[in-house]
Amino acid sequence: MHRISVLLGLVDIFPESMVGPVGSLLTYSRLLPADIQAGFQGLFVPRAGKASALFIKMIARWILQAKRASRNGKKVILVPFNFPVELIHAFDTAVPLTSEVLSTVGVIALRGQGERYWDMAMALGLPDHICSANAVELGSMLGSEDFQPQAIISSAAGGCDANAKLHEFVANYLEIPLVILPKPPDDSGRGRAQYGIYMRNLVSRLEDLLGEKLKEDRLRAVMEKANRCTELYHDLMDLRKAVPCPVPNIFSLFTYATRLSAWGTEDAITTLRSMVEVSKERLAKKAYPAEKEIARCIWVYTSYYYDLAGYFNWMEERGYSHLGDALMFCFPQLIDTSSMASMLEGYSDAAWGMPMTRQMGAESMSRAWIEDIVWAARELKADCAIFCGHHSCKQTWSVVSILRRELLKQMGIPLLVLQGDSWIKRMTPMSTIQQEIDEFIKNVVASKSAPRRKLKKGRRKQLDKPIAS
Amino acid sequence: MPILFAGIDIGSLTAEAVIIESGEIVGSEIISVLPNPVDSAKSVLGKLLSRAGLCREQIAYTVSTGYGREKIQAEGLADENMSEISCHGFGAYHYNPDVRTVIDIGGQDAKVIKIDRDGKLLNFVMNDKCAAGTGQFLEVMSRALGVDLNQLGEISLRSRKPVPLSSRCTIYAETEVMHCLQRGVPKNDIAAGISGAIAKRVAALVKRVGIEPPIMITGGVAKNAAVRREIEKELEVNIIYPNIDPQIIGAYGAAAFAMQKAGKV
Amino acid sequence: MELISSQAPGLENDHVIRWKQSGRSIVGYTCVATPTEIIEAGGLLPYRIRALGNGNTEIADAHLSRFNCSFCRSCLQLGLDGSYDFLDGIIETNGCDHLRGMIENWVYQRRPRFFHYLKVPHLGDSASIEYFVEEIKIYKKAIEEFVGRSISDQQIWEQIGRQDRISDKIRTIYRIREGEKPSITGAETLALFLLATAMPANDAENTLQRAIDDCKDRALDGYKARLLLGGSATDEVDFVAMIERLGGLVVTDTLCYGARAFRPRLLEGKRTDPYLTLANGYLENLLCPRMIDGFRSRLSFLLDAIERAAVDGVVLVHNKFCDLHGIDNVQLRLALERESIPVLQIEKEYGARADIGRLKTRIQAFLERIG
Repeated sequence: MHRISVLLGLVDIFPESMVGPVGSLLTYSRLLPADIQAGFQGLFVPRAGKASALFIKMIARWILQAKRASRNGKKVILVPFNFPVELIHAFDTAVPLTSEVLSTVGVIALRGQGERYWDMAMALGLPDHICSANAVELGSMLGSEDFQPQAIISSAAGGCDANAKLHEFVANYLEIPLVILPKPPDDSGRGRAQYGIYMRNLVSRLEDLLGEKLKEDRLRAVMEKANRCTELYHDLMDLRKAVPCPVPNIFSLFTYATRLSAWGTEDAITTLRSMVEVSKERLAKKAYPAEKEIARCIWVYTSYYYDLAGYFNWMEERGYSHLGDALMFCFPQLIDTSSMASMLEGYSDAAWGMPMTRQMGAESMSRAWIEDIVWAARELKADCAIFCGHHSCKQTWSVVSILRRELLKQMGIPLLVLQGDSWIKRMTPMSTIQQEIDEFIKNVVASKSAPRRKLKKGRRKQLDKPIAS
Repeated sequence: MPILFAGIDIGSLTAEAVIIESGEIVGSEIISVLPNPVDSAKSVLGKLLSRAGLCREQIAYTVSTGYGREKIQAEGLADENMSEISCHGFGAYHYNPDVRTVIDIGGQDAKVIKIDRDGKLLNFVMNDKCAAGTGQFLEVMSRALGVDLNQLGEISLRSRKPVPLSSRCTIYAETEVMHCLQRGVPKNDIAAGISGAIAKRVAALVKRVGIEPPIMITGGVAKNAAVRREIEKELEVNIIYPNIDPQIIGAYGAAAFAMQKAGKV
Repeated sequence: MELISSQAPGLENDHVIRWKQSGRSIVGYTCVATPTEIIEAGGLLPYRIRALGNGNTEIADAHLSRFNCSFCRSCLQLGLDGSYDFLDGIIETNGCDHLRGMIENWVYQRRPRFFHYLKVPHLGDSASIEYFVEEIKIYKKAIEEFVGRSISDQQIWEQIGRQDRISDKIRTIYRIREGEKPSITGAETLALFLLATAMPANDAENTLQRAIDDCKDRALDGYKARLLLGGSATDEVDFVAMIERLGGLVVTDTLCYGARAFRPRLLEGKRTDPYLTLANGYLENLLCPRMIDGFRSRLSFLLDAIERAAVDGVVLVHNKFCDLHGIDNVQLRLALERESIPVLQIEKEYGARADIGRLKTRIQAFLERIG
């Protein structure tokens, strides 16, 4: 972690105009170990343009804020990816550290891809089916003094048992307070009202822990920036609808990494704006990395992060567009900033709509998930869907057969079910993933020129009927 | 007339028997297992007795361990049965009383056993059902690599640039080995990757019970020098490799228990 | 005890058959947090869904994945292969992600005549209790609609009283088990509880009493150690019997099909509102790892049981892929190790016969360690 901190310090100091070229140079030099090189090749893919450097500067600043927190009289609040960070940004005395984003950075930039930290978590006897993103983060807290969180927020109860339990474990193990925001799996207004109560309790608890009252002006300033981020997010979504997709695949990761770490900050606006600009330029030029866009893929839950070049770059260079995954499908809305109450209400809506919370935390995990994926597939003109099968996401694994059936029934698009670990390469090597995607697209997904798959009457009838035992 | 004690250990691939007198090994035998553990026990003990020129009646007390240990006792081939975890711990203790941690890697199981200064079991951890980190993993990988199992350790030691391999799942690791071969990665480097993978898995088990030296390694996989070296690297400690066959430590422990139990009977 | 061993192994016991023959309906539920009083008050038979060690998951595997807990896959198998066709309805609770997925697939495929989702909060604070009160009212309304008649507060109070009496008897059985000379085994207790959650409350009361009476003239011997069994939802009587055959008498537990059914007498602190009484009674005593702020309570419940039953060691078990217990058992193991209490943590596949040898080895070694 030390080496990476030095690197981030340099990224923070140097201007974007220098970070980009230096990053690209490093990427293609032999200075980096092979596993790190794959990450850098993904981040600095030339078609991402200036967005790469701005994104990396944003992440560097975000991490350094956490690292330097105690020096600056601030407390580090560990949050999961389904907790909107803007609330923490609105406190003077707190900085958010999103577990999954931190683990992703570790997997991309650390020698050995953070597996050392996974091993540390396993050495405690934790089962190997827990989420590697959380396990790597736990290991890094145990094995490095870079980050010392003063509290952990868990917004996973109701959406993911594996995460919720690990948050509790981390809090107990590190002996830090656990602040819980449960999601009632209740689609009626009662569920949302209860969530609002939990949210208000969470804010009070945070105020107590930090010794700081949430200030209306400061919250407004953050929410106004969050609103600007929302507009840019939707601009990017609109750009993704174009055929061929002008938005580079890596922007899927950039978009939600921004949502999950820096939303509501000036850095986030700058990064998102640069992504919009780059994509617009590419749209105007009709630029696409391959000769032809062969497949437009929706990833229905997470993606793979241990080999960015082997995943994002490889796909688009073969003509497979990554239109986004469920981490991106959080559909942010503009927040009414007229009063404290309206802002908290809007913020609660945003939290209610965060990835995982909105799908797996819904009354029916399959129904909410299907609705989102069908909507995204329709809007983004997807012709296939892929489930990366992160082995720890047992909730998705338990209803993916329903999603597959409904996607075929409602949209006529096939779903490829892969098995792997999003963060640790040990489970399924990227070469296997690539092979399976290739075979799926070649053999199952209709080519662009072919008409949308239509179901024969008999098959539709069959799908409409419940399956008999 | 000397008082003799016997231990029989039936593993997933091999069966071992040891006869001791006053704690010292009088003779030992290793055979490949037969389909039925009772037949394996009869065969391995029979071979050992005939080679040593002894008969069953000369054995004062016998302890069985490993697969089918209860059946072996029920058939009258042993007076008592003990788990192989206790037996490996006790065997290692009798070989070297200073040993506090035992790593036993067999055909299908990997165990880490902690013992006290009397050889009594303090704690242990065993791999889950997954074959990664066991002899079976090495066997599958050597097949994928097209290298004799006994050669695997030797060629790994010649590697200059080990390939990092999946250590979590045998099936995917096998696919990965095939991909490496297709890419033209030298077999030495893949073999070293395989040793590294197994070592990582075992080291995680050791960390679960806590590293307490001196550590001894036993079981069939202990014979693979590359795996031993990788485990030492992972744990940053030296590991004792017994100068008797590491596969007979379980049976030796069973025989030692037989001696102890006979004293109590 | 003979009655227990003859009735417990099957899904459809004599009580179920008689109930159906009389034209009445049966509602299945999966989680100890389901207030069965409401189902009983509606004149229905609440039936706790179980898999009884069934290891065949062929049909279920087409819907759930190999990353889902094998207990849930086994239950789904029985749901989809028609073994549970005697159920007229299902109550879902958000006990865990695997259970939710199991019920979603069950309902998606089989569309039961009656289905209701009772949402149980993950916290036990006052805001959650208030929510749960309303939730129980909605659940009662759903039952009323299903049976076509209203349920009075008085009827609910009567059922609360009956469950209090059942709870008393459960405690008596635990006193017998945990005492110096236990006269009921862990396997028998589990079989008894399985039976008691698959029969009308009235019969359950009588069955438990008969078991208590049977214990009077019994004595158990030949055991090497007294054990506590904790962890995942375990309805595998054979698994407990295997531990006991190896010499470890399971004298107490913290299981979902066992001691977690402990609850104080709810009628004693009788409040004016039966829904509030139920909400408090169920949520405050829910010692399940799904309650993510409840680790301290679970640990003290475990430590109390260890002390009460004077156990020699603790076996914590979880089914492969069980997130809640898989992680909670590590926290508990670390805490017990700090107290120098011998503890064995086991991960196993539910109902898998193939792995039994390895399980036996570990348990035998643990008994050798503590013996």
